[in-house]
Amino acid sequence: MSNEPKILGFLCNWCCYAAADSAGVARFQYPPNIRVIRVMCTGRIDPVFMLEGFINGADGIFVGG
Amino acid sequence: MEAGRSPNIEIITNAEIKEISGIAGNFFVKILCYPRYVDAAKCTGCGVCAQYCPVTILDPHNRNLSLKKAIDIQYTQAVPSSYSVNPDYCLFLNKKECKQCTRACQTGAINFDQKPEVSEYHVGSIIMATGFKECDASSIESYGYKDSPNIVTGLEFERISSASGPYTGKILRPSDLKKPQKIAFIQCAGSRTQISGKSYCSSVCCKYAVKDAIVALEHEPDLDITIFFMDMRLYGKGFETFYERARKSGVTFIRSRVSEIKHDKDTEDLAIEYIKEDGTLHHDTFNLIVLPMGLEPHKENYSLAKTAGIKLNTHGFFQTGLFNPLNTIREGIYVAGGCKGPMPLPDSVMQASGAAVCASELLKKSRGTLISEKAFAEEISIDQEDLRIGVFVCNCGKNIGGVVDVVDVKKYAETLPGVVVSTDNIYSCSEDTQVLIKETVINEKLNRVVIAACTPRTHEPLFQTTIREAGLNKCLFEMVNIRDQCSWVHAYEKEEATQKAKDLIRMAVAKAGLIQPLAEPVINIIPKALVIGGGLAGMTAALSLAEQGFECYLIEKTSVLGGNLRNIHYTLDGEDPKLYLNELIDKVSNHNLINVITESEVESVNGFVGNFHTVITKSSGHGTDREELKHGIIILANGAAVYEPDEYLYGKSENVLLQHLLEERIASGQFIPAKEDSVVMIQCVGSRDDNHSYCSSICCSMAIKNALKIKEINPCTNVYVLYRDMRPYGFHEDFYKDARDRGVVFIRYDIKHKPDVTEIDGGVCVTVRDPIINKDVVIDAKILALSTAIIPREDKKLEKALSVPKSAEGFFLESHVQLKPVDSYVDGIYICGMSQFPKPIDESIFQAKAAASQASILLARGYVKSEPIVSFCDTDKCIGCGICEYFCPYNAIKMIRINKKRKAEIVVAACKGCGVCSSYCPARAISMGRFTDEQILAQIKAFGAD
Amino acid sequence: MKNNNRDNKLVGAVMVVGGGITGIQAAMDLSEAGYYVYLIERSSAIGGIMAGLDKTFPTNDCAI
Repeated sequence: MSNEPKILGFLCNWCCYAAADSAGVARFQYPPNIRVIRVMCTGRIDPVFMLEGFINGADGIFVGG
Repeated sequence: MEAGRSPNIEIITNAEIKEISGIAGNFFVKILCYPRYVDAAKCTGCGVCAQYCPVTILDPHNRNLSLKKAIDIQYTQAVPSSYSVNPDYCLFLNKKECKQCTRACQTGAINFDQKPEVSEYHVGSIIMATGFKECDASSIESYGYKDSPNIVTGLEFERISSASGPYTGKILRPSDLKKPQKIAFIQCAGSRTQISGKSYCSSVCCKYAVKDAIVALEHEPDLDITIFFMDMRLYGKGFETFYERARKSGVTFIRSRVSEIKHDKDTEDLAIEYIKEDGTLHHDTFNLIVLPMGLEPHKENYSLAKTAGIKLNTHGFFQTGLFNPLNTIREGIYVAGGCKGPMPLPDSVMQASGAAVCASELLKKSRGTLISEKAFAEEISIDQEDLRIGVFVCNCGKNIGGVVDVVDVKKYAETLPGVVVSTDNIYSCSEDTQVLIKETVINEKLNRVVIAACTPRTHEPLFQTTIREAGLNKCLFEMVNIRDQCSWVHAYEKEEATQKAKDLIRMAVAKAGLIQPLAEPVINIIPKALVIGGGLAGMTAALSLAEQGFECYLIEKTSVLGGNLRNIHYTLDGEDPKLYLNELIDKVSNHNLINVITESEVESVNGFVGNFHTVITKSSGHGTDREELKHGIIILANGAAVYEPDEYLYGKSENVLLQHLLEERIASGQFIPAKEDSVVMIQCVGSRDDNHSYCSSICCSMAIKNALKIKEINPCTNVYVLYRDMRPYGFHEDFYKDARDRGVVFIRYDIKHKPDVTEIDGGVCVTVRDPIINKDVVIDAKILALSTAIIPREDKKLEKALSVPKSAEGFFLESHVQLKPVDSYVDGIYICGMSQFPKPIDESIFQAKAAASQASILLARGYVKSEPIVSFCDTDKCIGCGICEYFCPYNAIKMIRINKKRKAEIVVAACKGCGVCSSYCPARAISMGRFTDEQILAQIKAFGAD
Repeated sequence: MKNNNRDNKLVGAVMVVGGGITGIQAAMDLSEAGYYVYLIERSSAIGGIMAGLDKTFPTNDCAI
């Protein structure tokens, strides 16, 4: 994935994470350059997590909730 | 769906009832079980068999709009998640050759030796919940459903607009798979007709047509959608605003019954002719027509009723009574949901809970005798041990292994810090892998387990139970999703998918290194209930709880029990409300477990689920007494009130009265309808307007009831009902027709042209514009009865004490409109009756029973366990700013004083683990179980460490 | 068969006929309230009509 931007995702367990599972069930295909961290709610996401994500090499952060 | 996971629910599929013997509390039921030809215990749901199966059939789940195989699974999330063979189409079962599936199946689950079997079950009670079905659209000959592919039923359209449906969520029409520009919905297809369908109203079609129209416009905003209707019956909570939303988003509503659809064979378009209310004839052409079909009973109801010895009504649904909406004539057999009539989803859910509680009342003495809870060995302490992580990578047959290089991933995992063992398994969820995981935990002395497989949302509990059985705390576990969110969605990028799996495992292992065992917080429950409101719902709920053996306080503001039911003197169904009310009051007042406290009010409520402390004030002869009650749960049933309007001369003319007072005057003989009398009723007074946006659901039936009563006493008395939409939903439609047949005159009025009322000698003069003749109709009436809105009771003190959220209409809000219709937003507080929304007698009763069911689950268990994902506060770090308390959406944080300093305390019972408090905490004093800052930061670091 | 004695003792098990949303809800309530449940379904999987619905009122969220 060297030419692809690296995306770090934070997904809410109850909605977006569930939706990502459904996408799998439906076999929707999407680019393999996202790495997901599951949280119980997007309310859990401290802004520091996003900054840390960028520090650790993320080109984009996806928050889904 | 959780039902598949309960150890105390045995799901028996492909089964039908053959015989029921015995009596209430002791039934013997013979069940005939047809083979599925797949061993459900061995089947992993991988679907390889279906890939190899050569037989293609229409997929009934997608309403025959797509194809499936003769061996398949009903739908992707089906429970049991096991495939089954369709014996009508299977080549082997019909022609004795093929067995491709047997060869393809890697777990040897397919077994063609299975035979139909009859087994006998011994149960205390039986609940019938066989549902309803869509009417057959081809029975309406003039619509030509069979001849045109572009006429679809409501359920077919549901599949068309579904993302998991045949067109993956694109709105296409079946004939050419092109986007239809113009779509029409034709209401009352198969309902409210004597000719081609059912006489009753199917209750849900208006609602789901509006929903489908809105959803379709969300998919494709430029669609042109028209709904043809007779009355839009959007009764019930929130639906009127839903209707409004549809109108605003551009849906056209035309009041007309479409009699015929003409099918153009060349364009596949559909032409209709319709007559508007004013008599003008119109033509239009549509690309797709949706028939939101009415609902009808299953034909099997007849044989089932015969086997069970219970009755059907004239329409073929199971018969119940107004005051016993869940009981059949055979004690111990209850019915719920669509098999007793068409109804929307929340009603089905409430009736299900209600029927469950009926069984529970009957069987209370044997509660807990046949269930099992898993007992576990003591947990191993991991305090002093080094990190020993085990990683288990799943192939999921070919599901993961076909894309991700699992062996490579497994080898990679071995190199990660802390990992002592890494294996790959064909199916991690299979029974033998559970044994392997347990043995590995014990032999390798693992203290953290990482499983890379499917999604934690479905499989985490299984693996947690497995490691718990091996002696590890449930939380010493992390799951990596390399199927649903990896191999399935990157099926053609094998290398990248493998890399992604490695990265995700690295992140999980980094987190696993920091996870700690957590105890599941347990909260004890005081096995007593407080029921607020002594009306029909409150009394029903209290009686149900008491009948199950739980003590109840029933508090009532006024001096007598009965509430609004006291105003009802007769019913449409002919059952006697006074008799029932008196019996109910007797039972409640004399029950030794119910403590009825009248003339009392709630002053304050403290505590949380399991431990409520409520102060009530009670007026007595010498002033006001205060009393503190301790109880585990609360049922809110404080009812609703009648709106008193300031229009139509109400309060100014003695001949203008509210509908329920007319009823009282008729019942008491104060008003004896004479031949020359005219009675006018105006519907929707203060409803569906700027006063109250909602439809109060019960007023149309009430007007019909009083109109019929007047006609019964004197068929010559003229009765006029001025309405906007007549909404006698369900079987009440039959009474509406009866009223018309008996000469009750129904005249529609438009909200822009409300009827005009002036006082005349001995009555009032009502003028209304009849839209059919487009002329004013003038009626000199002796009595004008107003069907006014049912409005929420104002009780500021109670609302403040409970902090239970209310809806925009002012009624108590349920936590999920469809699936949790009696749970309030506060744990341990349940809502029922008209305090939730205006509703008729039977709906109040089953809602009260449902509330009692949910409450009794807690009371019977005696404790609540919360998931250890709740927040915890480090009081040393806490600076007492209170921002967490302010932002907590669940009132789960209270500020307390420790050594005179303000500190945050988590109310574990109320915390849902969302983590809002944690991310706002400026001192980083609050962290979340299983999702600590350190753990998430470790994941982020590991993300960047490739 | 858990209990085969044909005496008058109340049996702490309930049979729910129909595996749609109503049957599932009844089964869940009963099992949580302390009763063993046999959930009888005519087809090969539980779920009923609701499993085929796309969205539900009013939030139009997923039905399952």
